[in-house]
Amino acid sequence: MDVRNNRRQAGGSSVVTANRLLDGRIVWLAEDGAWSGRIDAAQVFSNDGIEAVIDTATRRQQADGVVGVYGVQIGDDSTTPVPVTVRERIRAFGPTVHPEFATLTEGPPDVR
Amino acid sequence: MPLLENGRLVEDRWTTVGSDDTLPTTGPVIVPLDRLEDGLARPAGEKLGVALPSDADVAVLRAALPRLALVAVTFPTFRDGRAFSQARALREHLDFAGEVRVTGRPLPDQYEFLLRCGASTVQLPDGADPAVWAQAHERFTTAYQPSVRDERAEGFGLRRFLGQAAN
Amino acid sequence: MSAEILATPDTGAAPVGHYAYDQVDRAFLHDRVEQFRDQVARRLSGALSEDEFKPLRLMNGLYLQLHAYMLRVAIPYGILDSRQMRELAHIARTYDRDYGHFTTRQNIQFNWIRLEDTPDILARLAAVDMHAIQTSGNCIRNITCDQFAGAAVDELLDPRVHAEILRQWSTLHPEFSFLPRKFKIAISGSPNDRVAARFHDIGLVAKPGRHGTVFDVFVGGGMGRTPVVGVHLRDNLPEEDLLAYLEAMVRVYNEYGRRDNIYKARIKILVQALSAEGYREKVDAEFAAMDRARYRLPPETVAAIRARFGTPVLDAPSDAADRLAEARRTDALFDRWVRTNTHPHRAAGYISAVVSLKPDGGIPGDATSAQIDAIADIADRFSFGEIRISHMQNIVLGHVRQDQLHALWQELGRAGLASANIGLIGDIIACPGLDYCSLANARSIPIAQKLSARFANPALQERIGDLQIKISGCINACGHHHAGHIGILGVDKKGEEFFQLTLGGSAGNDAAIGQILGPALPEDATVDAIAHLVDAYLVHRTDGERFLDTYRRLGAALFKDAVYALA
Repeated sequence: MDVRNNRRQAGGSSVVTANRLLDGRIVWLAEDGAWSGRIDAAQVFSNDGIEAVIDTATRRQQADGVVGVYGVQIGDDSTTPVPVTVRERIRAFGPTVHPEFATLTEGPPDVR
Repeated sequence: MPLLENGRLVEDRWTTVGSDDTLPTTGPVIVPLDRLEDGLARPAGEKLGVALPSDADVAVLRAALPRLALVAVTFPTFRDGRAFSQARALREHLDFAGEVRVTGRPLPDQYEFLLRCGASTVQLPDGADPAVWAQAHERFTTAYQPSVRDERAEGFGLRRFLGQAAN
Repeated sequence: MSAEILATPDTGAAPVGHYAYDQVDRAFLHDRVEQFRDQVARRLSGALSEDEFKPLRLMNGLYLQLHAYMLRVAIPYGILDSRQMRELAHIARTYDRDYGHFTTRQNIQFNWIRLEDTPDILARLAAVDMHAIQTSGNCIRNITCDQFAGAAVDELLDPRVHAEILRQWSTLHPEFSFLPRKFKIAISGSPNDRVAARFHDIGLVAKPGRHGTVFDVFVGGGMGRTPVVGVHLRDNLPEEDLLAYLEAMVRVYNEYGRRDNIYKARIKILVQALSAEGYREKVDAEFAAMDRARYRLPPETVAAIRARFGTPVLDAPSDAADRLAEARRTDALFDRWVRTNTHPHRAAGYISAVVSLKPDGGIPGDATSAQIDAIADIADRFSFGEIRISHMQNIVLGHVRQDQLHALWQELGRAGLASANIGLIGDIIACPGLDYCSLANARSIPIAQKLSARFANPALQERIGDLQIKISGCINACGHHHAGHIGILGVDKKGEEFFQLTLGGSAGNDAAIGQILGPALPEDATVDAIAHLVDAYLVHRTDGERFLDTYRRLGAALFKDAVYALA
């Protein structure tokens, strides 16, 4: 997985993301250890402990049916996690050129 | 390690020796390229093979080839396709008729390619499932380009029929 | 209608200028689909790791992109029949989000594909003789071709039969499926290069020789982070040696191409390292050592494959040209569209029409399922059921009767496909960019949309004239920015998008790599900067000069001032 644009910093906090193996959709590691399709369900981790979380999630990825686990730095100043980079914001909220595919609004359900 | 020939497991009669191992004086052995001289110094009639690194030009074997019964080519990873060209050059340019053995980490999905480039045997990597390899052996019956196996034409154009391939 | 009388192989299909499969080809594709079905099953069971599976899915055109899997379907030499086109619409509607994206390599991409659906999608494609084989991976990719092949008045030789031969030869090639890096071949049969032959790993120009078809061979061109104009390797390669010589060329690359650094692995780097002369010597040595009889391409083989191509019977009524002229006199909008969106045909009374996939403010190369179906219907009515995809991300209908062109244009208008901007500033090439692509640094599409909206006025576009804007969202240059008269490259600065402008690139006979104008600009300044460039050109051009000509005559300084002095 390409991690050039994650720009995780030493401090602050991050969320953990991956793609689902079956359909490739973006998922976020949630409070209960499950993977959610919505970043607003993601558990926020302090960067102090995030490497361990990523390691654990990476070891579980075949069992969890996900691929390419990595951490995404988020801004400090909002209730919903908002990634600091354009790339991760597009992953989190959907392609900017198709507002109807926005992930956190009631868009069309997946075609199948 | 298990050895595959024509999609079936066969017994491996060869001993592979490393750069620092003692060279047995009798029996079929595969030596690294840098010990080819040692290997050739064994008694005539003792079967000798050589392991060719993937960055070597097969032409370095030209003089020794009449004495060699086996040349091993290798895949450091399955992505590194140089061994295909080495196997083909051994067959096509050097007319090598002995065993071309594939070592390293090829994938079963590459099996047909290997055979069509002139490989005879595959030393299966750790954890490989021979059944998957056997299946790969029979999967395709058509190819679209000539190969060193000189398969017969299938209908018109470039197509070759792989089903009853030579040997 | 006379178009119903067709010379075509006994396949029951329309007389389309591509190869007609038979049972052997279909059985092969079927086996290939089943192989991939097994590979997917092995991946889902965990028998294959993602690392092991990735090259296998890539060999079937399946990427994991930003939001989902992306499936890239091959359109060999850019030619489709209407039945295949409708299947693409069906796939978009059933398995994706109701649209597809035509690419600069004449393929189509679906952006929202599920891994578990992919074997079924490939089976559906196979049912219409299509596949996604080698649309990705370090192998020989889809062979691209002139979008006006077999139709253009300036063509010396229809290159599609040889494109098909190369497609077959390269398909699951035993030796060349794990090359150091991807490998792209383009072929043209016209002295006017419309395939960017000098920007390909191998570019071939076919022409008639004294004893049959011969080829001029270019090697080592490419875009990416090291843009290089290909070198001329040899002239007049005889047809019967075509495969042997290509084997030698690719074999030298497979043996000596770098594998230690992905950014230095393309053949262009090898050709630079060895020098053109050094590379040629190695190829010639390999060629001389080969079993030439084994690799010979005999004329019977070429003829057998040519016989599988449909040939339309071109018999326009004698007044077809007059009727087109009359329609142009009475309909100014149509007249404008004809000026920009057609290309001269070799046959009297015929013309090639270009359907722009660049509507004002739209996404370059995107088409909805409804539009894809509409184009299939229009092709059935007006162009023998044949559809071509151009590397400019547009659609070409190759053989249209001139007296039917007005009716065709009206049908396109009803489908929202009548933009009159081919070759103009609105005809922008753009890669998917950061909205979709996991490699991208910046978004390409929004810039294209804003530029397209800004220059939407057709009269203004015509006044500006021939101007190619090409946008890439990263240094991999899928949007061909190096070859744009104006190139735009997205770069990442601390997680934010910036855009670097290059001027003076060209993909044609005068192939050139654009030069960087100055520091990268933030997104909101980029569209204004392009407008300033255009204004400067309009002020300084002389009669008949294209933007590119003015730039070449006057140099970068005045354009640099136009962008940065005001900033």
